Amino acid sequence: METYQIYSLTSAILFIIGIGGIFMARHFIKKIIATVIMGGGVFLSFVSFAQRDAITFADPVPHALVITGIVVAVASAALALALARRIYQLTGEETFTNDK
Amino acid sequence: MIHLPSSPFPALLVGLPILMATLSLFFRPGGKAAVGLMGSILTAGLALIAFVEVTQRGTVIHILGGWEPPLGILLRMDSLAAVFIGMTAIVGVFISLYAWGYFRAQETSAEGLPLFWPLWLFLWAGLNGLFLSNDLFNLFVTIEVIGISAVSLAVLTGKTPALFAGLRYLLAAITGSMAYLFGVSLLYGSTGTLDLGLLGEVLEPGPTTSFSLLVITLGLMIKMAGFPFHFWLPPAHSSAPAPVSALLSALVVKGAFYILLRLWMEVFGVSLTYAAGQLIGLAGAIAVIWGSWQALIQTSFKLIVAHSSVAQLGYLLMVFPLLILAPGVSADSADWLSPAWTAGIYQVIAHAFAKASFFLSAGLIIMALGHDRIESLRDLVGNMRITALAIGIAGVSLIGLPPSGGFMAKWMLLKGIFLSGQWWWAPVVLMGSLLTAGYVFMLLRLAFAPAREMNTFRPVPKSLEIIALMLALGSFLIVFPADSLIQFLESSGVFGSGIESIIEGGVYGND
Amino acid sequence: MSILIDILLAIIMVYLAIQCLLTPRLIQSVFLFFAFGLGLALAWVRLGAIDVAITEAAIAAGFLGVLFLDALKSFAPKVSVKQDNLEDIYKLPRRNIKSLILPRVILVLGLALFLFIALEAVWMIPDGGGLTASAEALLPQSGVEHPVTAVLLNFRAYDTWLEIGVILLGLLGVFVAGGIKLYKKPGASKPDPMLRQVILFVTPVLFLFGAFLLYIGKTGPGGAFQAAVLWGAIGILLHLGGKPIFAMIPRWLFHLILTMGLGFFLVLGFLLIADGRTLFEYPPAYAGLLILIIETLGAISIAAALTAIYANLNQMEEETNEVEPTT
Repeated sequence: METYQIYSLTSAILFIIGIGGIFMARHFIKKIIATVIMGGGVFLSFVSFAQRDAITFADPVPHALVITGIVVAVASAALALALARRIYQLTGEETFTNDK
Repeated sequence: MIHLPSSPFPALLVGLPILMATLSLFFRPGGKAAVGLMGSILTAGLALIAFVEVTQRGTVIHILGGWEPPLGILLRMDSLAAVFIGMTAIVGVFISLYAWGYFRAQETSAEGLPLFWPLWLFLWAGLNGLFLSNDLFNLFVTIEVIGISAVSLAVLTGKTPALFAGLRYLLAAITGSMAYLFGVSLLYGSTGTLDLGLLGEVLEPGPTTSFSLLVITLGLMIKMAGFPFHFWLPPAHSSAPAPVSALLSALVVKGAFYILLRLWMEVFGVSLTYAAGQLIGLAGAIAVIWGSWQALIQTSFKLIVAHSSVAQLGYLLMVFPLLILAPGVSADSADWLSPAWTAGIYQVIAHAFAKASFFLSAGLIIMALGHDRIESLRDLVGNMRITALAIGIAGVSLIGLPPSGGFMAKWMLLKGIFLSGQWWWAPVVLMGSLLTAGYVFMLLRLAFAPAREMNTFRPVPKSLEIIALMLALGSFLIVFPADSLIQFLESSGVFGSGIESIIEGGVYGND
Repeated sequence: MSILIDILLAIIMVYLAIQCLLTPRLIQSVFLFFAFGLGLALAWVRLGAIDVAITEAAIAAGFLGVLFLDALKSFAPKVSVKQDNLEDIYKLPRRNIKSLILPRVILVLGLALFLFIALEAVWMIPDGGGLTASAEALLPQSGVEHPVTAVLLNFRAYDTWLEIGVILLGLLGVFVAGGIKLYKKPGASKPDPMLRQVILFVTPVLFLFGAFLLYIGKTGPGGAFQAAVLWGAIGILLHLGGKPIFAMIPRWLFHLILTMGLGFFLVLGFLLIADGRTLFEYPPAYAGLLILIIETLGAISIAAALTAIYANLNQMEEETNEVEPTT
């Protein structure tokens, strides 16, 4: 087994854990963390393929895509966090259970 | 593709709205609105010039940075992209004019409202970028621009239900775009390119391709609120301010549909089976019935309209099974492809006009009554004649009665269904129209009913009513240039194409 | 031997991810998330992606972790009331347990199936070859020597430009969602003498290290985003120390700092179009210089946006005492 395969398999596992977390976790913060874990899985798969395709250096395109992706994911997570905190501030709710 | 004529318009169509959005940040609330409205008008004007350019020169491209794919990114404006950009421009500029008057008429209770303008211009840039993009990863960035600005717009009022709906929307959007990106990663890993054109040439069928198809389709289905991922749409669209609801329903969900259509037709041909088409069609059919039924039993106007969006988007998914040909049928002999494509495009455009008009009317009703419970719509005709007329006209287009754009869409869909022999979809189309007629006539019956008690309709600006009416009329006017529009679309290469599906293979792929 | 390290790291990451979502206490969850982020950064290092490792450690684990920690401040006191643990489920009436467990079982089974086909897809992936060769061939024309910087700021500059826009959008979203009056000056918090010492010491170090990362990005791992986070950290520290810089400077200057990265990039692009080129097609002779200017301005803008995002989220609770909830 190649090094990149260890990480690309891990990436699929993390991706699924993230999806599971988004659906099953109840607290807003945990749902948001789950999206970041899901994203981490996606980015890991990009970078593992970059390592596979290395010649003199690793494939720079996936690295650049991942840097872009991480920043985009962080911006979304920050917005989600702002919404979650505002909801808690106004209603004291931390989950969607009583969302009407 | 690289030998196609180059044009600066694709880059300007993305750059100009962002430039105006950035500029508007420097102004105080009143100035923000002025700069924002000016930005909208300029962007719409630019879009129309670009549209004309495409009609004359054919597909134009813009090679960003001068780096050709696969290393660089290519913007491509073919006739399909031009039609979507043109639709966004026309609907967008009407909604902008409405928003200008609407936010001025509101008491400035919510502090965030002036931020509508920069957010909307960013959204517009994202939509234009999406329609023009020819690169898988760049599409991800544009859907994130659209997603973040759409969610921010949806929570503009800062009220609790909007916040709940917004968070749900955002979580769904992030999940969808990450699923999409995982598919992109696998496609890049297996082909070494992100360019749609090159991908379509080199992609080989296999388990990796099938899985990418699955996650990308699921991700985009979440984004376009396809059944069973429609749960986030009704609360998010109904709790936003009226111009925002109109933008979200008329334009934003169409972005994900556009990518799905492009990818299925241009990239995933090798991996699609007949069964995959049937499955996505089934999701659409359920959405048509379920969404229309839900709309029928709602008691607030905006919720009716929002559930109706779920149903109308279902029709778009029902186009896919017609484009995937049964094994043994060749694309040349399939005479239903053109009607099916026409149905898809007309459904997109007619729904954009009619739904924008509906939500703008809803905003006026809330302005007049202070709420949108439908029992108070009694004697709407006596008090707000133009709005009642707009609701009636837009409703006729939603039902699909002649001679509206909605009729064109549903008629062509039925034609495609019967020509292709997939008759089992026909009852769904008819049933959907019947249910739609149910809730539209319920609204109209109330509008004509005499008032029971004294309903106090506060006066609303006439100009806003006229904008809603013009959008409703637009959903009829689009029928007239139908012939030349179809002819124009046929120059795009993708329009009218079908996928000759592979014979062996299961539901989700051919491994 | 080295493959064992990778396997161990992979197992640890999966364990941390699962634990992070399963642990009943929110604070543990956030700390496990930190640990997960660092594990991921290590994985990037193992895969030779130093740039990504720095970005991950700085933005995803660092900045986002700080935002989560800051959020705990408001969620923590009540967290024991509505923890999302198993006890909650046992407290529900019997009928509800059934209705809650069945969908979960179906979901877990579905995810297991999904995992299986995902693993198959990843395992069976054909070797596409990537774009290393074409990037290497065109690297001399890009104006920089580091391939990742070349892709980010030249070959795919359009994505990077839009991404700077996404950060600005994120900030606008936070303004809207936070329900806070725009750029309100925060109440003066009492400066902590210890904190002041830390700030006095750390600020110049952060600034210099950020500048170093920015400059080194031309030839090695580093660049605008990494530098931006370090400079953003300065802003956050100053905010914590009772010196919210963006409340102190005039509003137009704040806006200028926020938008100059995006704006300069775009205006440059438009000028290039007017010159008959395409968007972001730098003249080869000036490419290196233009990229350095774009990176510097971009880093400052991103740093400002990150600081403002933090400051807005941080002020949210202080606001409640003054403003009535608008429900």
